[in-house]
Amino acid sequence: MITRRTLLGTAAAAAAVGVSAPALRAADADTLRFASSAGGPRKADPNYTTQGADNWHCTQMFEYLAAPEDGDFGKAPSDFQPWLAESWTTSDDAKTWVFTLRRGVQFHKGYGEMTADDVVHSFMRAMNDGVSTSNYINISDVTASATYEVTITLNNPDPLFLGSTIFTKNVMVVSKKAEEEKGEGFATDPIGTGPYKLDVFDTENGVFMSRHEDYWGEPANISKIECLYISDTTARTLALLSGEVDMIEGVRAPGWVPQIQNQKSDLLFDMTVPGSFNTLFFNLSKEPLQNIQVRKAIAHAINKQELVDALQPMARMVYSINPPSYPTGFELEELPEDLRYEYNPDLARELLADAGFPNGLTLPVNTSQREDYRSQHLIIQEQLRGSGINIDLTIMDHSAYHGSNRQNLNTLNINSSSLPPIPLYVYNNYAASAANMKDDSSGGANYSHYGVAMPGVDEKLEAMLQTTTFDEYVRVGREVELQIQRDLPMFGLPTLSYTVVRNPRIDLGYEVNGGYAYWRFCKASIVA
Amino acid sequence: MTRYILFRLLDAIPTVFLVLTLVFIAMRILPGDPALTALGPLADQAQLAIFRERMGLNDPLWLQYLKFLWDAVHLDFGTSLINDVPVRDLIIRNLPHTAYLTIVSVLMGLTVGIPLGVLAATNRNKPADHIVRLYSLIGYAIPDFYLAAVLLVVFSLKLGWFPINGAGHGFWDGLYHIILPAMTLALLKSAFLGRLTRTSLLEVLGRDFVRTARAKGASETRVVYKHGLRNALLPLSTGIGISILATLSGAVAIELIFNRPGIGRLLIDAIHERDYPVIQAGVMMFAFFVVIVNFIMDLVYVLVDPRIRMKS
Repeated sequence: MITRRTLLGTAAAAAAVGVSAPALRAADADTLRFASSAGGPRKADPNYTTQGADNWHCTQMFEYLAAPEDGDFGKAPSDFQPWLAESWTTSDDAKTWVFTLRRGVQFHKGYGEMTADDVVHSFMRAMNDGVSTSNYINISDVTASATYEVTITLNNPDPLFLGSTIFTKNVMVVSKKAEEEKGEGFATDPIGTGPYKLDVFDTENGVFMSRHEDYWGEPANISKIECLYISDTTARTLALLSGEVDMIEGVRAPGWVPQIQNQKSDLLFDMTVPGSFNTLFFNLSKEPLQNIQVRKAIAHAINKQELVDALQPMARMVYSINPPSYPTGFELEELPEDLRYEYNPDLARELLADAGFPNGLTLPVNTSQREDYRSQHLIIQEQLRGSGINIDLTIMDHSAYHGSNRQNLNTLNINSSSLPPIPLYVYNNYAASAANMKDDSSGGANYSHYGVAMPGVDEKLEAMLQTTTFDEYVRVGREVELQIQRDLPMFGLPTLSYTVVRNPRIDLGYEVNGGYAYWRFCKASIVA
Repeated sequence: MTRYILFRLLDAIPTVFLVLTLVFIAMRILPGDPALTALGPLADQAQLAIFRERMGLNDPLWLQYLKFLWDAVHLDFGTSLINDVPVRDLIIRNLPHTAYLTIVSVLMGLTVGIPLGVLAATNRNKPADHIVRLYSLIGYAIPDFYLAAVLLVVFSLKLGWFPINGAGHGFWDGLYHIILPAMTLALLKSAFLGRLTRTSLLEVLGRDFVRTARAKGASETRVVYKHGLRNALLPLSTGIGISILATLSGAVAIELIFNRPGIGRLLIDAIHERDYPVIQAGVMMFAFFVVIVNFIMDLVYVLVDPRIRMKS
């Protein structure tokens, strides 16, 4: 029989059990704390990470054979500098690349010196397993030609091989011995050569790292790094303002930067330029978007400058698909006048009338509830209304939005992706017929059906693939860019910088100008 | 009594089964591809296909459903689609945090709410009563996530008295970290419990046996606490049960805003990521909670009111 006394006793015991629930680690003073906007870490192996936030800890622990200066992309082969490889050579046909490895590079936790076997292993697993195997289909063979030398043979020439392949996270070098020992556990307990090593991988709280004391280069200034995950924007912002974390991932929404500056005026902002491509895809399988006059009308009805102004200071102007700072991007004055698609609502109305829509038209469009997507779509909705184009906008959660795009249910979807200055990569993903998105979600990110619903740029892409010099590669690439601009299956919207807000007590040690949406902390120091 | 408990437990089975079925169907109806969410919008087709096959997403729906039910019966919730961690481990790591938050906030809510209700009932239509009723009204009206943000700004950001995020490290740090989130939920609970206590107590205090007690010269304290509050416990225990369940659902928002680990945050992240096994297990945990809380409240009724015991 349960008595009231027993009940109270049990309740007290339950409370005591609750009180001793497992809890977070406390952080010490010589620690840099970064909070990204995700729920929790998924993997710590660069070949298997699938969320952007996980790249932050991977980039502290793993390294490339060659890489550009911290804080930028390499836009040309000459921008890359030795890293785990101390030098390299390439054949005249740009198909054979030989890398001489740096000697004395030690893996974390006593896993020994890096040799060619580790590099070959790292490439082989990226080619055969992992989450981006198709990025490496151009590699024919990777061999250890000596203890400290690796030879990579390609199927097709690639004058931008350092950028297209070497400087990609899946081929960051891992310890072969450690992976063979740890098996599946390697994904959350990996061994690399970077300036920080993993201490704790905690799916609820984050990834905790400490300085790799046997690092081959300049040792990291700050002894510990904590990559935390705070998905709620308010919580993340308050954590920064209170000093609980040093850096947070920003929010790409109109007015967010001035708002947080008002709260604390000495905050610093690190931004990648250009950051994410924002590409508006015209779904060529949907009426009346097959009609180029309609597509041109929409392009002329969009005031890009207004978008840039609304999303300051993160937005940058784009005149074609690639931003002007990228090898095949165009400045406005470089484009033929008829391919500039400057804001002109009167011309948009005329084009609509020519296309048989003198009274305007209505398009159903889905958008994501994520701030950057939603705000751009809402601004565009308002702008198009001025030219008689009514957007019937449905806002849905982010997964549902991508799901609807992949099932061919959207008409004017925006895709936001942080893409490297590797034009062929951009075109292969967005414009090649092989990437055509299919109704059953089995296709790629060519949401326009370009090259399928209308002739595309496949032949030019094949020509681009056969170029052996960087100059030739860029020349053909710019032809592709112009062809896309002429056919208008998609429309480049202003790019949005990936933004990190930093407490002034942290000096990053270099300036962030561009690059992927993650950067290294080994040069950072605590200055206050 | 044993028979009563057994019947109550058997009652719970169809409830849990129904919840499991509804969750399974809801997840499959929702647009969004778990493979795409897990691997990203630029994932290559071969990898997406491998992922779907490995996770059983290509199986016919009826087969997925049967597997899901079979595994649920064996308390095997499978592996997270997103990070390959067994869902059981995720639940075990997160559940104590949610349970802790619920217990502390309900205790805080009771500690504040019941005395406030007594104060209001014993001072009917006096300033104290008006203040408590106003407090209850505000408590009813204010959303938990808004109150959480206000408390965070005032007590953590401006005054610096409490930490902003996390669950703390060890007993004392854990206690320090839970005060503000628990207080957020407790303030709302206390408003509800205060109002309920006032109403129940006023109703009891008007009965004949209370009048008799007063006529026999019992002190007002004895009348209120011994005769009044004790007899007001039955409706109050129902309210406490509802309050615990409301606290559990409120924990979802609170865990997100205070960035605390817990079943609520786990569930929200899983919904964003279309992590079916975690969603299913998380919702099942909430369903279990509801069943267990209801079951405990049924037992409490039996203890509080001997008439129910006699009937059972």
